[in-house]
Amino acid sequence: MSEVILAFLCNWCSYAGADLAGVSRFQYPPSIRVLRTMCSGRVDPLFIVEGLRSGFDAVFVYGCHIGDCHYLEGNFHTSGRVETVRKLLEFSGIGADRVQLRWVSAAEGQEFARSVSELTEAVHGLGPLDRDRFGLHLSALSQTFESSRLRWLLGMERRLTEIGNVYDEKIDKRKYEEMLGAAAIEEYQKALILESLLQGPQSVREIAAACGLPVYTISQRLADVEKAGKAAFQGFEGNTPKFIRSGA
Amino acid sequence: MSNSKAGSSKGSVLVVGAGVAGMQASLDLANSGYYVHLADKSPTIGGIMAQLDKTFPTNDCAMCIISPKLVEVGRHLNINILCNSEVQSLEGEAGNFTATLKTHPRYIDLASCTACGQCRSVCPVTAVNEFNQKLDLREAAYMRYPQAIPGGFAIDRGICIGCGMCEKVCLAGAVHYDDQPRMTEIEVGAVILAPGNEVFDPSGLDTLNYAKFPNVVTSIEFERILSASGPYRGSLMRPYDRQEPEKIAWIQCVGSRSTNGCANSYCSAVCCIYAIKEAVIAKEHAHHDLDCSIFFMDMRTYGKEFEQYYNRAKELGVKFIRSRVHTIEAEGEADLKIRYTAEDGELREDVFDMAVLSTGFEVGLETVALADRLGIDLNKHNYAATDVFMPVSTSRPGVYVCGTLQGPKDIPQSVMEASGAAAAGGALLAESRWTQTRTREYPPKRDVSSEPAKIGVFVCNCGINIGGIVDVAAVREYARTLPNVIHVEDNLFTCSQDTQVRMAEVIRQKGINRMVVAACTPLTHEPLFRETLLEAGLNKYLFDMANIRNQDSWVHMHERAKATEKAKVLVRMSVARAAMLKQLEDRKVGITQSALVVGGGVAGLNAALNLAGQGFKAFLVEKETRLGGLAEKISRTIEGTNVKPYIDGLVEQVRTNGSIEVLTQASLTSFKGYKGNFTSTVEAGPDKAEHTIEHGVAILATGAHEHKPVEYGYGTNERIMTQLELDEMIEHPPAEKDPGKWKRVVMIQCVGSRNKQNPDCSRICCQSAVKHALQLKETNPEMEIYILYRDMRMYGMLEDYYMEARRNGIVFARFDTDKEPEVRTNGTGLAVVFSDHVLQRWVKIAADAVVLSAATRANDTDAIASQLKVPRNANGFFIEAHAKLRPVDFASEGIFLCGTAHSPKLIGESVTQALAAASRAGSFLAGKTLSVGGAVAHVDGQRCAACLVCVRSCPYNIPKINEEQVSEINEALCQGCGTCVSECPAKAIELSHYEHNQILASIHALLAGH
Repeated sequence: MSEVILAFLCNWCSYAGADLAGVSRFQYPPSIRVLRTMCSGRVDPLFIVEGLRSGFDAVFVYGCHIGDCHYLEGNFHTSGRVETVRKLLEFSGIGADRVQLRWVSAAEGQEFARSVSELTEAVHGLGPLDRDRFGLHLSALSQTFESSRLRWLLGMERRLTEIGNVYDEKIDKRKYEEMLGAAAIEEYQKALILESLLQGPQSVREIAAACGLPVYTISQRLADVEKAGKAAFQGFEGNTPKFIRSGA
Repeated sequence: MSNSKAGSSKGSVLVVGAGVAGMQASLDLANSGYYVHLADKSPTIGGIMAQLDKTFPTNDCAMCIISPKLVEVGRHLNINILCNSEVQSLEGEAGNFTATLKTHPRYIDLASCTACGQCRSVCPVTAVNEFNQKLDLREAAYMRYPQAIPGGFAIDRGICIGCGMCEKVCLAGAVHYDDQPRMTEIEVGAVILAPGNEVFDPSGLDTLNYAKFPNVVTSIEFERILSASGPYRGSLMRPYDRQEPEKIAWIQCVGSRSTNGCANSYCSAVCCIYAIKEAVIAKEHAHHDLDCSIFFMDMRTYGKEFEQYYNRAKELGVKFIRSRVHTIEAEGEADLKIRYTAEDGELREDVFDMAVLSTGFEVGLETVALADRLGIDLNKHNYAATDVFMPVSTSRPGVYVCGTLQGPKDIPQSVMEASGAAAAGGALLAESRWTQTRTREYPPKRDVSSEPAKIGVFVCNCGINIGGIVDVAAVREYARTLPNVIHVEDNLFTCSQDTQVRMAEVIRQKGINRMVVAACTPLTHEPLFRETLLEAGLNKYLFDMANIRNQDSWVHMHERAKATEKAKVLVRMSVARAAMLKQLEDRKVGITQSALVVGGGVAGLNAALNLAGQGFKAFLVEKETRLGGLAEKISRTIEGTNVKPYIDGLVEQVRTNGSIEVLTQASLTSFKGYKGNFTSTVEAGPDKAEHTIEHGVAILATGAHEHKPVEYGYGTNERIMTQLELDEMIEHPPAEKDPGKWKRVVMIQCVGSRNKQNPDCSRICCQSAVKHALQLKETNPEMEIYILYRDMRMYGMLEDYYMEARRNGIVFARFDTDKEPEVRTNGTGLAVVFSDHVLQRWVKIAADAVVLSAATRANDTDAIASQLKVPRNANGFFIEAHAKLRPVDFASEGIFLCGTAHSPKLIGESVTQALAAASRAGSFLAGKTLSVGGAVAHVDGQRCAACLVCVRSCPYNIPKINEEQVSEINEALCQGCGTCVSECPAKAIELSHYEHNQILASIHALLAGH
């Protein structure tokens, strides 16, 4: 098996569970590389994307079971974030299955080993991540999760759906998630356009081909990117307008 | 208060028993400045809790929450763990005891044992594994459970055949067959008894056939079955054929509330709720809809929010069958037929795949013998005899008790009592605080911030645990090629004492400024290696550990090449990370040596008094003009003790104590600052004079009151009254309305409790009713008394009074919520109509008085809760930091709670909790300074957009928008989880030691082939 997998383990539950797997000698495939954080809440979506971008074929995040978080509810936040990463991966064509979130307690040594074996097997089924094909997408994903707008929406989800907004209304969770999903996709599409323009001046059709998105979608998103001053019309080549990156 | 002259007492304490109670008492005392000897007869600490699967009512994983405590106790500089040790005798008196301890041979030297497990793997003999109950076996060379502290093996001499194999394979040379029993004398100022309890052995009950049928198990066995680290790895299976059961019965009160087949007439206090928990968790584990039935007499879910847990279980489909179980008989090959008498008196039967006996607590013979050796009195049930108002003091001054030897109880009660006992012991020895504790002196620190990284890599063989799988020499040589590495070596055991000394030496000689250890796991060994750094004069944060044992050699045993490859990668990551690590300074901040106690009832008075006894200043703030609180309305306890003299004495002690400042008619007007340094303003007295109080901690003891019923015609007829009103009438009988002359009285339970508005049980009303019924009967034995109830929750020793009441002819009639009794008034006439569950028809009886057992409701704390930003539940009771292990702490550090502000409780229970709060507060103050900083989050004000994401996402509400309109995170309060960092839209927050670039560097370094 040639795939390599990055795993984030929280200090208090899942890392202890992984240690217990060792103490109990539960075997699992060696392709997993563990990085410990105090709380799964520290796992920034950027770290997950960076894992895939820099060469891992999958990223697993392990945390305490809901309700068991050493930091009360850090793992709630993790859960929402990983879900959004997975949505965008699916949308990008890379596939949501390359990122997995699981809960493992300090007593679940066998469960840890079982889960790693099962997920590793699934990753093997997916095969190595084709970075030549998805390089552009991964860079765009990285940019997407740098976006303040998306980070803000992710950060406010629990507040707005569970406690209330400035009008003292709770937003329906499903609606919020739809909205968040749509925002994530918009940000991602914009990022894709910008990434693609790094190759030099391009037409809408060329960008669409590079990004694997419909021409009309690119046309619409490009308008947003232009409005933000990040891309600009450069000039015509024949009848075809070409666009370039601009600004910072 | 101290009973000893200044300096004459010993500043150390002996704690007997290292279960959750003994551990908590030890931690509180050690943190308060006393040296603790913690003795346990078993080879490990942890007690029963380590065996449990999940804990109610939060369903927390027991091991997840206890193991950090185990590690803390195990590493505490001022806790001396004495395993395999029993107290032989105790001479002397309070303040100056000499205890003689006998330590049984362990045959494995803990100082050299690395817990690698080689001895176990070659051991040829086995015995029943008591940790997993009798469900599996263990070897003679064993560790009670993998996370055990001390983390070392022991040889069970009882089964060891002396073959000598383990000594041959132990590369650490830790096995010593010539180990002998040792007698040690230690001098201590106080003793805390927390030896725990035994669980009743149902083998002798032939009707239940526990000894005969494998599918009849005890509740502890069932805990092990459910546990992910248990014999069936958390899969729900029955022992006989390992089939997943489809139908399980729980039989309550096995070995409790019975004099038939056992001698335990008391209630074990915890079995109802644990049975519900086991049923709920079993349902979660089952692959199909598991049929769970609980056979019970009274459902005693009297603890905080337990009733809601009970209600949820009913919603989940757990069946509750009010009955008495007659027999368990064989049905077919391995099924069980349970015959029981239902509430209507009919004998019924049903077949189950499995039965769980909810076995109760019992004081073991060894503990009885221990009590005898120590010279403390036991009560008739063999529990420690204690005073109602001093529940943690035994009959021998200076010897305190906590946990299940004090009485049957659950984990939070044990933890509270442990802290309470620590407070009592601490106050006794206050003058000798910090006289026997140890401090570690380190050489001066070298500032390496301007030096380039010079990394030393130490690779451990861990005997053959790593070296047997991973090519350690190859890993070592690989490490040599990594950037910034200036020194590499490998050791047989990197953690051994001699290696530690040498490592510090090498670090100094070679000018190493970052250390990487590739060995076992940081969860157990990081603190040790950080100490090595401190010994070498380096900042402790300049360290990283590669886990090449637990997460490599042990889990890839059949893939040696890949395990070696992975070890290299893990070392590469640690080296890359180490190069980027920064020195972090833990800053010291002074702690104001005083406490603010809000509420002058039993809890507040006791908390203030104990803190003063510990040597701290206390400010006691009471909203009324008088001190005493709700207890002033209670004449006697159920044991018959007068409350008034106690309260008067308490108030007198508080009023005359020079360290306590009392402010009455007082209210808190502002609360500022943070743990260790709060500033409050209080308006007090008739003229509302303003007082400014500087304090390091705060204790909330705001109390509760009796609910004014809106039910049963209360208020329409003066002969319908509450229990507290009846109390007043019994104590001071009005001339023309003497209750002693009543012919018939009806009491109605659960008035304003266990209903829609207030789903919780008020815990104390059952005993109030029984107490007053017994008092009335004593005045007038002819009086007819009816108690209409839903479940008689006479938990623990209260059961004695319930039995006495039934013996005295008091009639207990049960009702369901769909058949509530009705009180009818007709002019001056008074009658109660109720449905008799035995006769199964409605009965109407005339009564001279109707007494309503009204709920206990939390006092109004709207203002103070918002000032201190502390949470309350739906019924206004404060919410503690953790329902199990931090029962008197708030999540906000430096603020504590106690008494009925936490939940309804008896006077004695309030005293215990008050002492517990005083202990927690005292151990916080005793440190005098607070270490802040380290691995916490910091905001870059330049980048912050004050968008509030961090404010909203912090689980602890620490970030605040400051006057400069940017977010500010108080480094003293930040817990370091990093949630805000990962959500900050502007990426303006950084978490020290887990910085963005440090994590990215780790990710990149983890990639094979770059």
